[in-house]
Amino acid sequence: MTDTLTRRRSTEEIARSRPAWQRRLTSDRAARLTFYVVAFLFWIALAGLFERIPGPPSVVDSLVEEFRRGEVFGNFADTFYRFGIGVALSVGVGILVGVVIGLSPMARAFLESPVLVGLSIPAIMWAFLTVMWFGFGHTSPIVTTFLTAVPFVILNVAQGVQGVSRDLRDMSSSYGVPLGRRVRELVLPAVAGYVVAGLRFAVIMGWNGVLLAEWFGGSGGAGYRARFWYDANQFAGFAAWVVLFVGVIIILDQLLLERLSRRMFRWRDATH
Amino acid sequence: MAVLTVNDLCKTFGAGTARSNRVLDHISFDVRGQTFVSVVGPSGCGKSTLLNIISGVETHTSGDVSVTSDEGRPARLGYVFQDPRLLPWRTVRKNMLYVQDKDDDQARRRVSTYLDMVGLGQHGDFFPGQLSGGMQQRVGIARAFAVEPDLLIMDEPFSHLDAITARGLRAQLQDIWAQSRKTVVFVTHDVVEAVELSDRIIVLQPGGRIFEDIPIDLPRPRRQSDPAVATLQAEVLARLEKMKAITPQAATAV
Ligand SMILES: Nc1ncnc2c1ncn2[C@@H]1O[C@H](COP(=O)(O)OP(=O)(O)OP(=O)(O)O)[C@@H](O)[C@H]1O
Ligand SMILES: [Mg+2]
Repeated sequence: MTDTLTRRRSTEEIARSRPAWQRRLTSDRAARLTFYVVAFLFWIALAGLFERIPGPPSVVDSLVEEFRRGEVFGNFADTFYRFGIGVALSVGVGILVGVVIGLSPMARAFLESPVLVGLSIPAIMWAFLTVMWFGFGHTSPIVTTFLTAVPFVILNVAQGVQGVSRDLRDMSSSYGVPLGRRVRELVLPAVAGYVVAGLRFAVIMGWNGVLLAEWFGGSGGAGYRARFWYDANQFAGFAAWVVLFVGVIIILDQLLLERLSRRMFRWRDATH
Repeated sequence: MAVLTVNDLCKTFGAGTARSNRVLDHISFDVRGQTFVSVVGPSGCGKSTLLNIISGVETHTSGDVSVTSDEGRPARLGYVFQDPRLLPWRTVRKNMLYVQDKDDDQARRRVSTYLDMVGLGQHGDFFPGQLSGGMQQRVGIARAFAVEPDLLIMDEPFSHLDAITARGLRAQLQDIWAQSRKTVVFVTHDVVEAVELSDRIIVLQPGGRIFEDIPIDLPRPRRQSDPAVATLQAEVLARLEKMKAITPQAATAV
């Protein structure tokens, strides 16, 4: 008898050994779909058990009503305007400050504590503070979004910059490559993964921030509208807005960030 | 005129601490323009440290190091490392432009010229990960030549390659050098390689002193098969053996 210790299977053989239905059932897409189905069933069960949890039909009714009243697009337009500015600012400032902290030990010593302080202050505090400072209007949600998101971007980018290959940094300095080019061609591409991670944090934390600021700011927007239903004790209306918030985040994350990171890492795919 | 002047150079890592380690000990030498100088010596004798000090990547403890250019501008350096050290996210051509003073037509022309010279004229738009190790190392060599350096330093550029690839690249380096006549400081622990390439060999001993400074007066191009080359290689090897006998640390190091 001969023992084959390990036999490697070819991709063709693996494909042949599993029928198509099995492959489809174990695909990433099937797993994602399964989650949504399970979550939906769970919701129906909870709504059946507890009276204060609105079930899917009443939430869908409220959603349709909100669309019909024309509340959805106007409020979301306000929210996106604030969110967009806040996130763009936090990403721009976050990358800049993150790179500076990563490159200069002095900047690090100076800025490390304020970043930690920023990380530890929850979005709801910023929402209160900015409403006190700036009153009602666009400013307080924009500033809340910015302040909530920016420490996460800074932290991620700074971490990435510190990990940039020592060998490549030495190479650059032995050739006397100017700082600006070094940042553009060496540091930023090297930290691209961290920038995407930072951006992801910015989107999610910023979304939190903008909704909270609108909730307390009383100046329109999706967060404000959710509060309106909450105050009116209409849980179905409130839940309808929660569904919208969740949907927006999923779409932003999957569509935008996925595509962006695929573009940024094209060089990596080219080498496989 | 001397392009590189090293005068009474000392380097101590961790000076003033318990782990203080003197790596270079009162080193002095000059390298004249258009000469090819090799630095050989056992592992750990401070060869890479010397190059890093010359290139400004590492600071020295005392003494003087200066590189001069004859055109009244700051001297330009080319550095070929033991490994290719290319930006993985930039194409070969962009990698070479990265270290150029300016990204202008002249720079692009130089990049193309030297890519052709190392036989990679067709690979300018490849990413480093799409090339073999030997091809990447050739890009590193072309990159260094393409900055038209006043001083070109090379740290065991062939030591990570297989013998056949290394031999091909050595021949190529000789050709390119014959055409461009750059001033080169070349580190290796391969005496055979040093004799084949150099006008002069500086032998470092453990503890970082210069043991010997041997002129190599052979006509170029030199080929392995030439008996004069083989004779001199044997002679230099014999002198290194003598050094090992005198400095006991070296016996274990090579
Ligand atoms: N950054 C550092 N900190 C402390 N000691 C160092 C550092 N770099 C090198 N050394 C020490 O300096 C000595 C010389 O190292 P170096 O790399 O210059 O040797 P080398 O001659 O290039 O050896 P090899 O032929 O193996 O490359 C070694 O003993 C090493 O431990
Ligand atoms: Mg070395």
